[in-house]
Amino acid sequence: MTAARISRYAAFSRISAKQARRERNELYGRMAFFVVILGVFSSLWRAVAEAGMPVAVVAADPRAVVWYLAATEWILLSAPPIHIEIQEAVRRGDVVYRLGHPVSYVVAEFASGLGLLAVRAPFLGLTAFLCAFAFTRWTPPLTALLIVVPFGFAASALITALYLGIGLLAFWLQDVAPVYWVWQKLMFVLGGLMLPLELYPAFVQRAAVFTPFPSLLAAPASFVLGTHLVTPGALAGRLVIWSVATAFGVSWIFRRAVSAVTINGG
Amino acid sequence: MPPAAAVELNQLSKSFRVRRVRSTGVGARVRDLFSRETHTVSAVDRLSFSIAPGERVAFIGPNGAGKSTTLKMLAGILQPDGGDVHVLGLVPSRQRRQLAFQIGTVFGQRSQLWYQLPPRDTFELLGRVYEIDPQEHRRRIETLSSVFALGSLVATPVRHLSLGERMRCEIVASLIHSPRMLFLDEPTIGLDVSAKAMIRELLWTESERERVTLLLTSHDTGDMERVCTRAIVINHGRLLWDGPIAALRRSYLKGKRVTLWSDAEHLELSLPGVRVLSSGSYRTELEIAIEITPLGQVVDAAQRQAAIRDMAIEDTPLDDVIRALYAAADIRSGPS
Repeated sequence: MTAARISRYAAFSRISAKQARRERNELYGRMAFFVVILGVFSSLWRAVAEAGMPVAVVAADPRAVVWYLAATEWILLSAPPIHIEIQEAVRRGDVVYRLGHPVSYVVAEFASGLGLLAVRAPFLGLTAFLCAFAFTRWTPPLTALLIVVPFGFAASALITALYLGIGLLAFWLQDVAPVYWVWQKLMFVLGGLMLPLELYPAFVQRAAVFTPFPSLLAAPASFVLGTHLVTPGALAGRLVIWSVATAFGVSWIFRRAVSAVTINGG
Repeated sequence: MPPAAAVELNQLSKSFRVRRVRSTGVGARVRDLFSRETHTVSAVDRLSFSIAPGERVAFIGPNGAGKSTTLKMLAGILQPDGGDVHVLGLVPSRQRRQLAFQIGTVFGQRSQLWYQLPPRDTFELLGRVYEIDPQEHRRRIETLSSVFALGSLVATPVRHLSLGERMRCEIVASLIHSPRMLFLDEPTIGLDVSAKAMIRELLWTESERERVTLLLTSHDTGDMERVCTRAIVINHGRLLWDGPIAALRRSYLKGKRVTLWSDAEHLELSLPGVRVLSSGSYRTELEIAIEITPLGQVVDAAQRQAAIRDMAIEDTPLDDVIRALYAAADIRSGPS
């Protein structure tokens, strides 16, 4: 990709970052959600530990589980739901403008998503850190945090690309919410969003290996848990593989979509 | 050597598969889940015409005639099923990106402006997208802002703009890369009278100033009359009429609309080719087929009943002309 082309797509990232800074309420809403969910789950894990239940199955220190949850939620909440934007653009017909520009629609949408991610991730990351620290009065080793941050950002970017693929289905379905709900539930379970994968039955853990979900949430977050599901090198490899697969998948969906596109409203 | 056509369509066709809903009932609905019945709808049917550079053409047709589908094929957004199309010497479906640098599009009910941000931000983005030199881009924004009287609007968030203001900004956004051709799909839809007049004036001025070729679809005959010199009329995806707007009037204008103010409260005029549209309160509105009964005969007949105080003679509105054109085409094509 030439510098001129990079500059074109970077412009999409910049303008969407600017728009995200204007839409502060949504960011504040996500931060508030973060505080609530970490508050609830830290109380839950404390209760589990006090009841003598085997928290040690997943972590030597029950406080690490709160940090695990903070990490998974940070990754997930930082990824902008661009499938909704795409769905609305398809429904309103505004997509005709984007399709008519001399840029790749898919790359432009992804670049816009990265712009939003660049605004959300630092704010939500800071919220995650402060909330997790406030609820546990403890921090994981600095090295673990330093590993989680870049991998978490990369995972959020990959989730954004997956949302893009879901959004493109709007060219056929108009409403992609059902697809998103299925995806979200798979993320909850196979990604280990709320509970570390080690707490699930063996067959779920085995099935999860064949999906991108553990690489998106459980694996990056496992560094704060101390269980290290994979090494950083292996995780990087998996993220690259799933990114390539997602890129192929999304471009295939897009090619099919534009060949069959009908624009709403004539 | 005559200039190459800006737009050249030859037997252009496009159809869509549309789902046919089976009869109501649970059984039919369940069958629908497993095997859907579809039928083909022909949106554009062997359409041919060409447009010279710098022309301002109204592209007219009733709802569902295939106007927007044609525009989207011309812009390279939709792929034709058959026929040839060239825009500025390029094949839109195959050379969409090259073409995008040379055309602009305005879709009246759509927006390309970023809603939370001022239009200036979208203009800057488009400058990057179209790879415009930053200095030239700044000059272009200044020029267009001045022509379109944007003033402080460029710095106002789009969500705070009125529809008319937003539409001016949308058109500037579409002109920012100095396109040679502008496709406009209902650019004045939903606007009030003064905003419409302003948009029409600006489009005409800009087209004259930069010799931009315009292809405009609209249901508003005012758009066509004030901006365009030529009309292409389609219905059911087929060409109905193509020629100067003045000729369209002449071809289908077999009558005059006459309003008489007289001393009599009602006028009773039963002459061949004369239709009384309304009569009462000393005012009578007539539609006269002047080929059947000359205007003078009608006025004489009216004067025999009462003194005529005033009279207004108008051409039949273009709306009526176009309606007559569609009706004639429907009669020719028969029930479908």
